[in-house]
Amino acid sequence: MAAAAVYSNPGFDFSNLTRNNFLAEKGIPLPKATSTGTTIVGCIFEDGIILGADTRATEGPIVADKNCEKIHYITESIRCCGAGTAADTEFVTNLISSNMELHGLTHGRKPRVVTAMTMLKQYLFRYQGHVGAALVLGGVDSTGPNLFTIAPHGSTDKLPYVTMGSGSLAAMAVFESYWRPNMSRADALQLVKDAISAGIFNDLGSGSNVDACIITANHTEMLRNVEMPNERVQKERSYVFRKGTTAWKKEDIKKLVLSEEVTPISGEAMDTD
Amino acid sequence: MPDMVTLPYSAPSGKPQQRQFNPYSENGGTILAISGADFSVIAGDTRQSEGYSIQTRYAPKVFRLTDNAVLAVNGFAADGNMFVKQVRQRLEWYRHAHAKDMPLRAIARLIQTMLYARRFFPYYVYNILGGIEEDGSGAVYSFDPVGSYERESCRAAGAAQSLVQPFLDNQIYFKNQVALPGRPHPQHLPLTTVIELVIDSFTSATERHIEVGDGLEMFIVLAKGSPLHGLENFDGVQEMTVTNDGERIFVLRRNLKRD
Amino acid sequence: MDRIDMHRLKQGEVNLGTSIMAVQFDGGVVIGADSRTTTGSYIANRVTDKLTFLHDRIYCCRSGSAADTQAIADFGHYYLQMQAQVLGSAPSVLTAAAIMEKMCYQNKDQLSAGIIVAGWDEKAGPSVYNIPLGGGLFRQPWAIGGSGSTYVYGYCDATYQEGWGKDETVNFVKNTLALAMSRDGSSGGCIRMCVITKDGVERKFIPGDQLPRFWEGKEILGEATQKPPAAISAVSDVAPMAVEV
Repeated sequence: MAAAAVYSNPGFDFSNLTRNNFLAEKGIPLPKATSTGTTIVGCIFEDGIILGADTRATEGPIVADKNCEKIHYITESIRCCGAGTAADTEFVTNLISSNMELHGLTHGRKPRVVTAMTMLKQYLFRYQGHVGAALVLGGVDSTGPNLFTIAPHGSTDKLPYVTMGSGSLAAMAVFESYWRPNMSRADALQLVKDAISAGIFNDLGSGSNVDACIITANHTEMLRNVEMPNERVQKERSYVFRKGTTAWKKEDIKKLVLSEEVTPISGEAMDTD
Repeated sequence: MPDMVTLPYSAPSGKPQQRQFNPYSENGGTILAISGADFSVIAGDTRQSEGYSIQTRYAPKVFRLTDNAVLAVNGFAADGNMFVKQVRQRLEWYRHAHAKDMPLRAIARLIQTMLYARRFFPYYVYNILGGIEEDGSGAVYSFDPVGSYERESCRAAGAAQSLVQPFLDNQIYFKNQVALPGRPHPQHLPLTTVIELVIDSFTSATERHIEVGDGLEMFIVLAKGSPLHGLENFDGVQEMTVTNDGERIFVLRRNLKRD
Repeated sequence: MDRIDMHRLKQGEVNLGTSIMAVQFDGGVVIGADSRTTTGSYIANRVTDKLTFLHDRIYCCRSGSAADTQAIADFGHYYLQMQAQVLGSAPSVLTAAAIMEKMCYQNKDQLSAGIIVAGWDEKAGPSVYNIPLGGGLFRQPWAIGGSGSTYVYGYCDATYQEGWGKDETVNFVKNTLALAMSRDGSSGGCIRMCVITKDGVERKFIPGDQLPRFWEGKEILGEATQKPPAAISAVSDVAPMAVEV
């Protein structure tokens, strides 16, 4: 048998999978990853793409983040909405963003949306669905506006309007009813807001605010919290505690500022200029 | 999610497969009750959900039983509604037999026996009973699904129990709060404070729990001859009292966030 | 060895619960597919293009896992481009089918893909190759595949005739797919077709409201009660829908 591996392969290591399955069977489940039970959408309009997302992140039934960002940067004119495991969407979009920058530098021209789409689908396919990222990728390049969805197993779809995440059905209902070809910028933005709002109010996994991103041939506009229909209400009482409310057992104060005197014994002082 | 057969020639796995019908589901939401010296407050949100979908934004979980008893039910909504229906029927039979309403502690014991009767096919419901005892004191009884119960002065149950109960322990029982020397924590809180704490509990639970929201419905039971204790200062309080026996019941509704 | 388990489609995997078809005729081939992609009971894409380009005169019809078949087709496309550059001439349909089959067979324990490769080449003229689940390469005058195909084997056997021209073949494909789509719940939407001949590739699109229609059944038991239902009287005492402050 080969000696114990000194060198490890780069990338993910699946060798603990059997162990984890065994532990899960014994009743020790894996730690829960923060999942963005989400509504994300994208649609084509007369001069570009609008992407939209809600801002709720959940851990099971608990809201982990009330105002997170789900529209990720790929390049200046390509953005990507992520649903699924938060860590995976964050990492995979960062990785592809980095590779797109290098790709642009190598070839001396702006990389296209299909390039990002291909990189993403090949990465996700390699991990056979274990990287749980469901993405809406959109942008404008030399070929015009492009919009894709990428499912966790690496399949892609190219459509004029798309939705993903747990709120995708609510959002798609809005798109299927009101989307029209060649919509104006204002109409398309309102449609995206309505689609995300449908997710926010009808899907428990989605909530809080609407983020949107309008991408046109020579400008990208990130509209963070473009709609805030769920502001926190004023509390009835004030919950300020009187000083001394918390009990303590021991008081110990340490002096953290130290003074030190240095006496040179030999040689010249070091040249510090 | 059920998997639709895609391609032909799908083969059986060979191993025996066990299939079972699950008669229960979990419908989210949270209930809460706090008792004071001569009053009791019982509240619940009005959202009913299953999985990630909202079934309705208004499904009451808190029910007036008599003029001095209110029951809040949480868990599997179908079981909850059926249970309330049967408790009400038993209370009506009691009224016909004894020409008076059943005392609160007797209702509590009745609920215990009704729950335990279904020990091996339980009502999937957490119950909280609030009201006024025969001695005029405010009371809260909380139950587990098979009938174990105790009298407490405050209890939260349901989806956001783990969020609300520690808050109540801190604010009602003053847990982890050191009192000023010579000024001990009060035994009972005033009604206005309790109502404010209940509203804040639900707005907070709505912020951080996805199954809590839409509406808040709160019942306030006042003991015989008790003054309104500032209840008149809250908007939209509605009186629900039926008899002239002395105890009075009020309902207070608030909107909660709908996301 | 265990039989191939189609239920092994991973949780939430996007599925081409499909009806696909390819038929050879004198001057070329006609390939066709429905346009439905599903995840469980949700239609993730209702206008999918399952007729995928492999080379100038070679296409494939994909069924099974969307991710797997896209990956296979992408690789096939790449391989044939390389092949064409090296040989300096267009690859044959057999070459294309063989490389696709190789991928399906060698990775059979990780894939769920049923593919039909069809096209035209200088050597063999028009040809259709079927690559079922788990591999295998079969040249056929016509091939059907996907979950919807089981419903229409009888129709194809009874209808297909040698010596058809282009129009008859297109109609055969169109009718077969419409029948499969009407019976199979995981097929549907519209019909996409390609006619591949020596001269080029012609795409055809049949919208969902213009599909060929066949016998659709008729009401027998309810015939006597063919009058409009009585207006439902307004319910007066419903619970309040909104919570008042």
